[in-house]
Amino acid sequence: MQTPHRWFGAGHSTAADSAKAGAEAAFSAINGRTPAVVFVFASHRHDLPALLMGVRDEAGPHALVVGASTLGELANDGAGAGGVSVGALGGEGFTARARVAHIGDAGHRQAGAEAAEAMAGMNSPPGMNSPHSVLILLADGLSGDPHEVVRGAYSVLGAAVPLVGGFAGGGSDGARTFQFVGDAVYTDAVVGVALGSDAPIGIGVAHGWRRLEPPMIVTRSSGGRIYELDDEPALDVLLRRNDMPGGAAADLFDGVDAPPALGLSRRNGEDIRVIHDGDDVERSILGMSDVPQGALCWLMEADHEALIQGATESCLEALEGLGGKVPLGVLAFDCGARRGRLGPEGMQEEMAAMRSALGNTPYAGFYTSGEIARVRGALGTHHLTLVTLALA
Amino acid sequence: MSQWSTHQLTDFFSAVNAATDEESAVAYAVERAAEMVEAEVAAVMVGDEVRGEWGFGPEVPVAGLLRADERLGVPGLGALHTCYTGLGEGRKQGALMVGRLSDEFGAEERQMLHGMAQVLGLALRSIRVLSDERGLRADSEREAEVAQTRQMLVETLLTIQRSISGRRPLPEILDLVTSGAAVLLGANSVALMLAEEGRARRLTVASTAGTPEAATHEGEAREAMAGGQALIRALSRDSVIAAPLQVTSEMAGSLVARLPGPAERHTGHRDQLAAFAQQVSLALTDSRTVEAVHEAHHDPVTGLPNRGLFLKIFNRVLASRDVATDPTSVLFIDLDRFKAVNDSLGHEAGDALLAAVAGRIRGCVRASDTTARLGGDEFAVLLHDSPIDSAISVAERIINAVKDPFRVADRDIFIGASIGVAISRETSEHSDVLLNNADVAMYRAKKEGPGKMVVYEPYMHTEALNVLSLRGDLQKALDAGEFALQYQPLIRLETGEVAGVEALIRWHSPGRGLVSPVDFIPIAEESGLIVEIGQWVLETAATQVAAWRRTFPDLTLNVNVSGHQLVHPRFADNVMRALAVAGLPSSTVTLELTESVLMSDPDLARASLTALRRLGVQLSIDDFGTGYSSLAYLRELPVDELKVDRAFIARAELTAEDLALVRTIVQLGQILGLRVVAEGIENAAQLEALRSLGCGYGQGYHLCRPADAADLPPFLERASLRHPNASLIA
Repeated sequence: MQTPHRWFGAGHSTAADSAKAGAEAAFSAINGRTPAVVFVFASHRHDLPALLMGVRDEAGPHALVVGASTLGELANDGAGAGGVSVGALGGEGFTARARVAHIGDAGHRQAGAEAAEAMAGMNSPPGMNSPHSVLILLADGLSGDPHEVVRGAYSVLGAAVPLVGGFAGGGSDGARTFQFVGDAVYTDAVVGVALGSDAPIGIGVAHGWRRLEPPMIVTRSSGGRIYELDDEPALDVLLRRNDMPGGAAADLFDGVDAPPALGLSRRNGEDIRVIHDGDDVERSILGMSDVPQGALCWLMEADHEALIQGATESCLEALEGLGGKVPLGVLAFDCGARRGRLGPEGMQEEMAAMRSALGNTPYAGFYTSGEIARVRGALGTHHLTLVTLALA
Repeated sequence: MSQWSTHQLTDFFSAVNAATDEESAVAYAVERAAEMVEAEVAAVMVGDEVRGEWGFGPEVPVAGLLRADERLGVPGLGALHTCYTGLGEGRKQGALMVGRLSDEFGAEERQMLHGMAQVLGLALRSIRVLSDERGLRADSEREAEVAQTRQMLVETLLTIQRSISGRRPLPEILDLVTSGAAVLLGANSVALMLAEEGRARRLTVASTAGTPEAATHEGEAREAMAGGQALIRALSRDSVIAAPLQVTSEMAGSLVARLPGPAERHTGHRDQLAAFAQQVSLALTDSRTVEAVHEAHHDPVTGLPNRGLFLKIFNRVLASRDVATDPTSVLFIDLDRFKAVNDSLGHEAGDALLAAVAGRIRGCVRASDTTARLGGDEFAVLLHDSPIDSAISVAERIINAVKDPFRVADRDIFIGASIGVAISRETSEHSDVLLNNADVAMYRAKKEGPGKMVVYEPYMHTEALNVLSLRGDLQKALDAGEFALQYQPLIRLETGEVAGVEALIRWHSPGRGLVSPVDFIPIAEESGLIVEIGQWVLETAATQVAAWRRTFPDLTLNVNVSGHQLVHPRFADNVMRALAVAGLPSSTVTLELTESVLMSDPDLARASLTALRRLGVQLSIDDFGTGYSSLAYLRELPVDELKVDRAFIARAELTAEDLALVRTIVQLGQILGLRVVAEGIENAAQLEALRSLGCGYGQGYHLCRPADAADLPPFLERASLRHPNASLIA
């Protein structure tokens, strides 16, 4: 979609050849215009440097190219796993700058703080020169405490700048994820993209999950590992509440498309945590990010319709944040576990729901291993959630 | 439901206390404080300095923070709602601030923040002490001691909070609090005093650890509550520390500790107890616990203290008074006819009635006295400094107040109260013993009739024990087949013929021998057994009389009915079922009721009796003339028979007054078309007098003693042949 000065485009490719796939998706998104920033979300199976070369050919030498590897890609002309989707924007009133920070020994917090420096130097924040700004974080979340990335960025930027983004997806072995800045491919890194805009920026966060009563208290946990719920071994609680008393972790997690989820109580709903593994010996369970000891939580359930409805809600909330301005385009960070639950047909239903909610506004995004959205309060990691960022 | 639980506080507590320098303690505190209340920003100010902040980004509004702006302007964000809480007493030692864009902070959040600020303040002070000492003498021993105390504090709190989330019983949690504090402070004695609701806010000792003397420091406990902060007081050799407990922003009580040695030695302990009390407050604020605290002490129907709380208050009063000068009285109040109201109008009306009764009782006592609902329809009143005379007059006031009708469910309800009074006479007396004595006296009062008051005397205790054991035996008697019926004929006085028989219950208890109905019927009524027993009587008698009617076809049956049976919702059905099974026509059966039964709930009695009358069953008023003798109900109720009470006929020779009264009743019967039966005819003169007055029927030893079923048929045969003027005694 194009206004006299500003534009946003999205593209998607399932081409097997990486360079071709990059070029195809970028061509659809850029369509001969001069982009300020190009977001590339690609399967780790691709030859990523080659794919980025393909994108660069379309984007031109000056465009900022950023991105991450995925658990699946989505755009308004399709969604799937193993391909690439590209979102590009440009025109007057958009400014963008990126910083990449290596996690390594310094840790997620330090890397988050460094990545947030992308916003620095863009004049007085928190709005840079632009009245509206957002920091997009594309990060590795496989090790440590991913929430520390958000805390690190927040420590630098404070509450005036919203944070959105996602944790990159990796191979099925889960060993590595990739982050891109320029034409380079990084691992174990956090990319911060400071985006400034003359027009309002809208952010939507919704999941479509429901609480299963009664609530429980996380009586013992450390990071993402939960040892006890209501003083009972956490794995036993999950097995019992899934009608598998006396079972093993494998019953809950192995080859399951829809692993169990916990919702942490928040003032405005819940933060969902996917539980993706359990330990038969210590009877603990493992979530993707921090579950604080003492937190109130619910076992969550969602049916197909509710998940699709969650996608609609997220899009509508993002559009609402535009204050009546016509949306140009949307970046979407959707949970990989949602994709797993919805299945291939459900993904297409979700895309249809998004298209319908967005009124054919172009969108591009990826299935993440954890979503980031900090709009209110100081917390900002999510799971099983669709985070959308609407630009006008 | 709030989004945090007390466990998060413990996490906060242990992390802040684990910090080795001020900077990291503050950094952790601001970050977690903001996250826990979902605020955007947080800061810690000490003196004229912002020591740490979170969420402001590059531009920290230092001036606004130091001014403690209520609406804090933050560049790029707008004006935030704020909450500032002091790190110690007041804000002298610094403050923790959180700011949120949407929504003001609620009471629960403010209390949690208050707790966090206290914890942070304590941690900062101990870090400063450590670093000062380190500078002076690098004493690692002292450091280790402080670290150990902190560790103990954290572990104690974790144990308490685990027991809360594990829904352990409240007394157990409170005991953990006091024993934890005792270990933590090395205190001889710790007491947890909780304030009751109501204006007086009396303190109750909810738990103690160690020796009991901490529980005597109510003054310090109150002072700490009034001041809202921990205090320390020197005694001659010991010191007392009291720290207030706050539950959902209200002062809920105090934690009091007594420690050996002078006060100067214990300022550190005061801070520790203050921090501990803070954490305990937050733990108790846990919604389930708040409810449990209240539920554990108060009756939800009347809002009055329950039995447990009443006994605690009572114990405290007994322990603190001087017996000679402060006699303490307790009234045990039991409502008369309450069960009938509850059974007939439903529990909702019953509850409304209880609440109204509670109000009236409270209106009869001083504000300083304690009224409690012990359970069911039982109440108790504790009268402080109250000699026997004033206790009696309070009891009488209550009886009169309860006698007035209550308006419940759009009807006037008449109930009464029976009261037992017990006075403490010795220092060694226990609250439960005194309450039990009052209960025993109440039981005596109940036996004397409704609306009576009796003062406890020691001999009553033995009697009460008998009643208890009687009640136990009675419960087994029906199943064990220990009941039997005797039948006493009703004689048509003019002809000497047997018109019918009255069934009379007899209890042959293997352990007691023959027990009189006068002794066991009231107990059966009180326990509700009467319904079952009454039904057994009706079924057995109906079967027997149906059998006799094959030989004596005009024979009728009289059966006594208790008020408890009458108000039973299935009474009419039960009667008709018994008669149908026995094959006895309903028109041959007369139910005998006393006046008091009919008067306790005339509406209900009328409904039940009208239904039975419609089915042909007849109704007799037993003991007529002794009670209300109201002509009104004789017109309204479907009465067929009046039985003149034996009291009017008991004298060997009837006086002119007796005769006048009996004549009146006989005439009344004639006017209304009712049968009149004279009871207790014991000699020929009485028989002759009654016959000459025109009394239609009679019963009594002179005519025929009650007899076992097997012995009666020969008498029935003979009676039908006898001359009417001859004595019928076999």
